Amino acid sequence: MTRPFILSASVAEPAFAVPGHARAVLQAAEAAGFDLLMLGRSGERPFDAQVLVAWAAPMTSTLGVVATVPASKAHPFHVARALSAVDFLAAGRTGWSVVPEGAPEGMAEDMVGAARALWDGWGSDTLILDKTSGRYLDASKVKASNYKGAFFKVAGPVNAMRPPLGHPLLVVDGDDPIAIDDADIALVSDGTAAPQATKRLIKVGADADAAMLAERFEAREIDGAHFTLNDALTQLPQIGARLASLLAPRPAGDLRARLGLPIPSTASNQPGGAVIPEIA
Amino acid sequence: MMQNQIHLWAFLQGIGFFPTGWKHERARPEGVFHMDYYTRVAQLAEQGRFDAIVFGDQLQSRGAGGRAPERLAMPTLDPVTLLTAMAAVTKHIGLVATVSTTYNSPEMLAERFGTMERITGGRSGWNIVTTAHPDTAPNFGETELPPKDARYRNAVEVVARACELWAEMDREGPELPQGRPVLVQAGQSPDGRDFAARTAEAIFCPAATIQAGVDFRTDLRSRVAGVGRSPDGVRIMPGLSCVLGGTEEEARAEHTATLDLADDALAIEYLSESLCCDLTGFDPLGQIPVDEILAKTLLPQGDVARSIVPGAEKGTPLGEFAANFMRHPRGHNVFIGTPEQMADMMIEWRDAGACDGFTLQPSYMPGGLEDFVGQVVPILQARGRLRTDYPGATLRETLGLPAREAVTA
Ligand SMILES: Cc1cc2nc3c(=O)[nH]c(=O)nc-3n(C[C@H](O)[C@H](O)[C@H](O)COP(=O)(O)O)c2cc1C
Repeated sequence: MTRPFILSASVAEPAFAVPGHARAVLQAAEAAGFDLLMLGRSGERPFDAQVLVAWAAPMTSTLGVVATVPASKAHPFHVARALSAVDFLAAGRTGWSVVPEGAPEGMAEDMVGAARALWDGWGSDTLILDKTSGRYLDASKVKASNYKGAFFKVAGPVNAMRPPLGHPLLVVDGDDPIAIDDADIALVSDGTAAPQATKRLIKVGADADAAMLAERFEAREIDGAHFTLNDALTQLPQIGARLASLLAPRPAGDLRARLGLPIPSTASNQPGGAVIPEIA
Repeated sequence: MMQNQIHLWAFLQGIGFFPTGWKHERARPEGVFHMDYYTRVAQLAEQGRFDAIVFGDQLQSRGAGGRAPERLAMPTLDPVTLLTAMAAVTKHIGLVATVSTTYNSPEMLAERFGTMERITGGRSGWNIVTTAHPDTAPNFGETELPPKDARYRNAVEVVARACELWAEMDREGPELPQGRPVLVQAGQSPDGRDFAARTAEAIFCPAATIQAGVDFRTDLRSRVAGVGRSPDGVRIMPGLSCVLGGTEEEARAEHTATLDLADDALAIEYLSESLCCDLTGFDPLGQIPVDEILAKTLLPQGDVARSIVPGAEKGTPLGEFAANFMRHPRGHNVFIGTPEQMADMMIEWRDAGACDGFTLQPSYMPGGLEDFVGQVVPILQARGRLRTDYPGATLRETLGLPAREAVTA
């Protein structure tokens, strides 16, 4: 597939928790061709983004919705379950971004490790759903994680399924103190290092120059751009119009397929996402 | 205002009330993993003018003794997620999520429900549970579940603190349309009933008979009055499942057919989960292994002994005992008959003061909900006992409570 220019933005307006405004922003992001909309960002989380991505799931059809998760005010057991459910409802369009602010050093990494271990406690092909034989699932594919980190100890197995994406897309802010070398996406400033396998989205303001972004994309310095919005309804359509020439059509499928981002092999012991058997 | 209006809640966790429900030809076990299923059932419940949809929740890992059940369907998807998504495809119906006070901080709870309250436009509710399953603790880095009295003492503090945080959120804006989520509870023990009486605007209970309903409601209303609240500000909502048929015989045949979808292995898995002890290695034709069960279960031994010793003394084989156990899930009222008979029964309970309405637990999903909404709802409406439209925008208005309440627990 041609290398996609990944278009991302974050919203942190308190009004995004109000349905009329949120609906309009989601529609604008999707209409403008955005790949990812991140709800909240480091230092600005005026809502529980895990709740709002659930509401966004049926409101959108192509947009990837990314929940910021505060490491200091969440538990991996709850996070793994909530994001698993969202990913089913969004048919594999979910991401998450652990925000370390206010958390002791190492807690954000621990959150990532624990949630990944819980999702990996379920095989991709665990569900059988065969009414005739009476087998609902294959118990040999469900395993306790027994995760033990410095902050979180979680036995599992989690009472939720592996998500359709396997793991929701992990987005890290490269300027945050978080040491994850196999994130799917890093939001970077000029000069921020990011691991080789991680897609680099340059953090820019709403007026960023399209020609400059195109040039850096061609030079493979970046894989896309992340816009920090402060007036989403006005800015989303403007950005979409300015960057339209950079946006090639995406292949059909879930968010990983659309963006060419398989789960990093270091992140999971399972090859893919959960498969729900079709029932005649 | 209608006379003796019947309130309806839909309790929709999983694929239905019966452990065999997922195998029914009109069940969609794959549906619970797809948005279109939630859109369909939420709109159906709204069409049936239910007050609210409730999803239960548990935080223990499934699988007594470390073995995940293979024949039981327990897709415990996160309830806040499911309900918030359902809000996006409905306009009026309330959305009540079960969340634990033992394994969440007040800050987490306030942020979750405060956001849910805003994005649902004032249709959120919280079914406050303290989490009773001992297998939960290891998922939160702990070895033991705190005892019940400590859990309820903690719940009082957690709810009070969450209410303070909602008041702050409301002041800072955007506003919380109801001031805070509607508070719901299902405690049955003395500690649980007192907590419910002080806190809840709606209360669930199991009530297998009309008399059990009258007793529970009378007790709760006097406890509510005892703490200085108006009993009319609390809706008592016993659980109710049903199997409907064109005639009573048809309904009975359907009930039997639904139960007969179980085999020994399914029944024994259900018993294993209920007793918190893996019995899948035992011979269904053999004796109930009482000593092993009492030695291995993590539940209070007295409770477990009460449920198995009578069967063991009669010499009932394990498989048969398990099959019988499964016929009466969780002590709820299971109605079997025609839609007219069901409407009669519901009106009788309401008029006798046995309830303010019912928490419907469809026997399998979505077929059981479709039948109720298609067949019983129109009768209740024709008899003037069920609203034909919603009175306002928020869940409190739907419940007939003042639109906003002082924000303290
Ligand atoms: C209709 C109904 C639904 C309930 N749903 C849940 C649930 O989803 N999760 C949970 O942990 N407890 C649930 N419970 C359990 C109650 O919260 C409560 O613990 C139980 O009724 C026993 O009362 P006690 O806590 O006072 O002993 C439910 C109870 C009833 C009657």
